[in-house]
Amino acid sequence: MIITASDQVPRATLFKRFPVPRNFGVAPESRIGLGKAWAAPTGARRIKSFEIYRYDPEAAGNPRLDTFEVDLDDCGPMVLDALVWIKNKVDPTLTFRRSCREGICGSCAMNMDGTNWLACTRFISDMGPTAAIYPLANLRIIKDLVADLTHLFAQYELIEPWLHARSPAPERERLQSPEERDRLDGYYECILCFCCTSGCPSHWWNGERFLGPAVLLQANRWLVESRDEAKEERLDKLEDPFRLYRCHTILNCTRTCPKGLNPGKAIADIKDMMVERQG
Amino acid sequence: MSSPMTKRRRPLSPHIQIYRPQLTSVLSILNRITGVLLSFFSVWLVVWLVVGAEGPRSYAVVRGATTSWIGRIVLFGATFAFFLHLCGGIRHLVWDTGRGFELRSIYVSGWLVVAASVMLTVAAWAVGLSTSAG
Amino acid sequence: MASDMRSPLARASGLGSAKSGLRHWRAQRLSAVALVPLTLWFVASIITHTGSDYRAFAAWLRSPLTVTAMVLLLVVLFYHSALGLQVVIEDYVHSRVQFAAVIAIRLCSFAMGAAGVLATLRIAFG
Repeated sequence: MIITASDQVPRATLFKRFPVPRNFGVAPESRIGLGKAWAAPTGARRIKSFEIYRYDPEAAGNPRLDTFEVDLDDCGPMVLDALVWIKNKVDPTLTFRRSCREGICGSCAMNMDGTNWLACTRFISDMGPTAAIYPLANLRIIKDLVADLTHLFAQYELIEPWLHARSPAPERERLQSPEERDRLDGYYECILCFCCTSGCPSHWWNGERFLGPAVLLQANRWLVESRDEAKEERLDKLEDPFRLYRCHTILNCTRTCPKGLNPGKAIADIKDMMVERQG
Repeated sequence: MSSPMTKRRRPLSPHIQIYRPQLTSVLSILNRITGVLLSFFSVWLVVWLVVGAEGPRSYAVVRGATTSWIGRIVLFGATFAFFLHLCGGIRHLVWDTGRGFELRSIYVSGWLVVAASVMLTVAAWAVGLSTSAG
Repeated sequence: MASDMRSPLARASGLGSAKSGLRHWRAQRLSAVALVPLTLWFVASIITHTGSDYRAFAAWLRSPLTVTAMVLLLVVLFYHSALGLQVVIEDYVHSRVQFAAVIAIRLCSFAMGAAGVLATLRIAFG
């Protein structure tokens, strides 16, 4: 009932999805059909069902939902372990991004049982009776669970996430006090997995122009950077009814961040700076 | 569009169709829905005043409609919508000061909003009904 | 889309920042703060006057405190409502209809507010 950390998965939920038709507002090419079912190997005792979103760009047809039965005794504890098990033992065409398997690279971000998280740090035991695995929400799908992040990274490039300094470079480092360095905590740790942005309803409706929580968190990272000298330009770039002000403090972002960061707070700090600079 | 060289459009992954409703998103959309509803209910306020300026006879018609059983049900809904939007709005104003963004605070304040709205609605109607009865 | 051959950065940049947005956000918050006492006063007045007849209603509205509060309530309420509905339209409507819809909302809110204020003044001073 009271969530204190983003890795808490509620045991019971009243609604698994919003009461809208399954294909609500879905374009014809995105409608999900029924897919194949793959049974567990014989002799398996602990079995769990996974429903996984599949899409093959080479074949004709819409995306579909395949059901895989996984032998939990033969597979690691995390959802990523299950995906790798399926790829090794059942269907080698199952495609997904993964790299570090320890929650730091951000590659395996996906939607599991309705919420966005990293597959490598999500326990299978936290999933419902049938685990539903979808790609990150509201993104164009390249194949299976691989989403096209081009636009999100373009929005990131838009905020110029590098040091702007007109002052000549000092002999050694540009100095920063420990207090100034502390202000970067909670922002520099972002792994750009885009779980937050993909879970933001405002980004669903206005993702073309609204920058989204991940990019705005990084924008705040550079705004509180004491060594940066371009606050005016950064704030000018953000002050826009769509780029910043589509944020209505829905806070799905803070709820879903796999690194426990707080994009909602970061955006509130940016809005605070906007007010402050007007006097 | 039918040329074999044309790549077909990539599908869009589902969002509202599969994303889990959480206290965060549910209270947020309720704040919006109650706000829109209240915008329409405020038209009733204007009607009440305009009719009141006309005189006692027209006023009695509006009053009759409002105190009919259907009017009371709508009014009850409007009261609940009002308190939900008020408490949710205050929660938003607190966020705008930069406070209350830790997950625990978000959830505690969220449930407080729900509880307070229910209690205030019940209290308001209790007072209102006892006033008209007394 | 085949017709959109902009680079990803060009697409994300759009027409650039409008360099405005704070005014609307701040006005929404200020009107919200003002509405807390005003609406609570209004609801309290209603629930303590239920069952009163036309004469009691008119007498209540004639008091200077009531007239002031009611006029303020109407003005701030319809301002807040217009701002809020504008945001809702901007969120969900992306066609050419959006501009017309926002104008319609603003005009209707103004008309409603004006009608309410005039009616209040008529009852109070008429």
